[in-house]
Amino acid sequence: MKAKNACVLFLAVPLFAQMQRVLPKYDPASRDRGKTAFGAACGFCHGQNARGGEGGPDLLHSVVVLSDENGKDLRQFLQNGRPDKGMPAFNGIPEEQAKDIATFLHAEVLGAVTARSVAVNIVTGDSKAGEAYFNGEGKCKTCHSVTGDLKGIGSRYDPVTLQDKAIMPRGGTGFGGPPPGPQQHVMVTLPSGEKFEGALIRLTLFHVTLRDAQGMRHTFARNGDVPKVEVKDPLQGHFENLSKMTDKAMHDITAYLVTLK
Amino acid sequence: MRRLLILLALSIAALAQGPLDPKLLLKSAIDSWPTYHGDYSGRHYSPLNQIDRSNVKALSLAWVYRANTAEAGAITGGEVKQGDTPIWLSYLGPQSIKAIPLMVNGIIYVSMPDNAWAVDARTGQEIWHYFWKTKGGIHIGNRGVGMYNNWLFFETPDCYLVSLDATTGKERWHKMIADVKQEYFCTPAPVIVREHVLVGMGGDSLDVPGWLESRDPETGDIQWKWYTTPRPGQPGAETWPDAYSMEHGGGMPWQPPTYDPDLNLLYVPTGNPNPVMAAQSRRGDNLWTASIVALNPDTGKMAWSFQTSPHDTHDWDAAQVPVLIDGIVDGQPRKLVAQAARNGFYFLLDRTNGKNLISKPFAESLNWFKGVDAKGSPIPNPDKDPKLDGTLVSPTSTGITNWPAPSFSPDTGLLYVGTEQTYSIYYLTDTTNRPQGYGAIERRLATAGNYLRALDYKTGELKWKVPTTGGPQGLLSTAGGLLFGTDGAGNFIAFDAENGHPLWHAGIGTASNAPETYMLDGKQYVVVAAGDSLYAFYLQ
Repeated sequence: MKAKNACVLFLAVPLFAQMQRVLPKYDPASRDRGKTAFGAACGFCHGQNARGGEGGPDLLHSVVVLSDENGKDLRQFLQNGRPDKGMPAFNGIPEEQAKDIATFLHAEVLGAVTARSVAVNIVTGDSKAGEAYFNGEGKCKTCHSVTGDLKGIGSRYDPVTLQDKAIMPRGGTGFGGPPPGPQQHVMVTLPSGEKFEGALIRLTLFHVTLRDAQGMRHTFARNGDVPKVEVKDPLQGHFENLSKMTDKAMHDITAYLVTLK
Repeated sequence: MRRLLILLALSIAALAQGPLDPKLLLKSAIDSWPTYHGDYSGRHYSPLNQIDRSNVKALSLAWVYRANTAEAGAITGGEVKQGDTPIWLSYLGPQSIKAIPLMVNGIIYVSMPDNAWAVDARTGQEIWHYFWKTKGGIHIGNRGVGMYNNWLFFETPDCYLVSLDATTGKERWHKMIADVKQEYFCTPAPVIVREHVLVGMGGDSLDVPGWLESRDPETGDIQWKWYTTPRPGQPGAETWPDAYSMEHGGGMPWQPPTYDPDLNLLYVPTGNPNPVMAAQSRRGDNLWTASIVALNPDTGKMAWSFQTSPHDTHDWDAAQVPVLIDGIVDGQPRKLVAQAARNGFYFLLDRTNGKNLISKPFAESLNWFKGVDAKGSPIPNPDKDPKLDGTLVSPTSTGITNWPAPSFSPDTGLLYVGTEQTYSIYYLTDTTNRPQGYGAIERRLATAGNYLRALDYKTGELKWKVPTTGGPQGLLSTAGGLLFGTDGAGNFIAFDAENGHPLWHAGIGTASNAPETYMLDGKQYVVVAAGDSLYAFYLQ
């Protein structure tokens, strides 16, 4: 696939990475000096990015590195080396250089834990098959039109968001999904026959709350089947497709929607 | 008269603050709640029946305790020094009580991340507050305290085990469990079996090893450690490609274990393997991750293991409660362990030997497995591993269910569990030979139905379900024919345990832990947390 289809995915995992996080800050100059020093002295065995190389382990998982503070523990370790495992001693390594190397390694660990995005092409499907799905099995055209509501949708969203929305426009089960889509509609019929309808705000075993066309909020107590509550979901078709959706159909439909420029 | 006074004095003393009688741990909780699930079985069931189907409508509020997290006025501890930079500190903001409180001799002991309290179980008044000054770590939750004699034990987000004097709240000692610098964080409630304080941990961002350890309740010294992945040459090593992958294979045991005193076996559910979602560097089943493991509490030696998610690639750990059921199968009395697992499978095993009896999906949306192998473990479909262009998978990494305690009622024979049928698209992002941490991202799309479900424990068949707003939830069943739980929309509810009909409810906000119950002064209390508050109910 051509690079123009490449897009950026924003990391939605891990859960706790979404939360407010106090992260350490590293001096970029020290990190850069450390990177150069590390590359020259350590890169052959441990790799230029410290993730393992010719015989040397991945240092981002090293307990010595993770436990180090400001190069103190690391310097001590380097002065002795680990001769039994073929790691030479770096006797006399200056304190400042050990600190720079430590800064580089700590920044690499931070980068691995908090990586936020990656450039990748996700448009791998067959757009013709996607078009066939749209008009056939997926029954998408029951509600949508490529010359109407979906006109130009391939230009409006990046492919990842488009893939999300094609499968489920509502989202809202947590982090990283698409913004909430069309709301459910509810009709409440009181024993008197009086009816209230509008956007469903909340439905529990005990209450139903809606917002009517005038923007007024109404809450009714529920007692079993009284009052009568009828919910209609504009996304019903998406839910019906969801349980049957194959990855091939998902990729094909995305490939098709991307062409709707 | 004098004799009467002495008797009276003795009976008052018996009701006052004081040490935990270890015999209480070996039977169903009546006038105490001395360990995480009330007893060791993990059934989260109470034989109390003062509150029952006929009178639960009259249940009313006894008191509310709002957790006081102010450092001022608290007894403080911690290893942080002035000017230290916080380490991996996250998940800040308002905390909720996820802990299941203990109630011993009229005192409630409850905790949140960095905090523990003693509260008068009759009045809801705070007795003491202990505050731990944190070095950092992920403050996602704290699941409770453990008690031995007059000592309390709880874990902190920066992974210390802290022991307090239950009478005063003063610290006896604290010991480091794991190094927060390596992204460990600690949430479990310690479980105490005789002279063993059983301690687990969490942390899956940095491919570090996991273990369960046993500590001495007096000194805090380590008695044994059991690593959740093997080392080269040990049984299970054949399910990993090399020493590096197993040593960095994760498997955090962050759910408190259950225990059978007759068999003297702990049932430890282990966490997911690492790297979490990019699995190209750990081909194989990855034992003993995502497994229910039976350990001897005196030695830490493994008796048997059953894997619920071989070669997991979706963060579906087995850290759900292993529920011990003494049941009848094919007319024969059997010692069983049941688990409604995060991956959506219900498992029933013989807990003497780990032999599988039932493996059956308990939600309809699962789309990730090809079948079940000869041992009863699901066979994952590799087409549903995270891929560069995305795979649509149910459930999300949060699972069909999760850590909150399910409940089993021996009266109805039903296992009650809160569920959600969610979907995510999983994108592989790290294609290197040695991926790190998660190595994939997840876009959460939808839930196609959340339910409180009641399963027949013998077959895993659904008996009934009630729609809810939330999914996983803590539950309590009682001999009063009741099931206490929530609708996920702010109501605490007493359901009819036979059929799921709601009989009573209170809009206290969505419950954040599993409810518990005990007798005090001849009254049955039901205590539950919602957000930062504990609510106690009884029949007035």
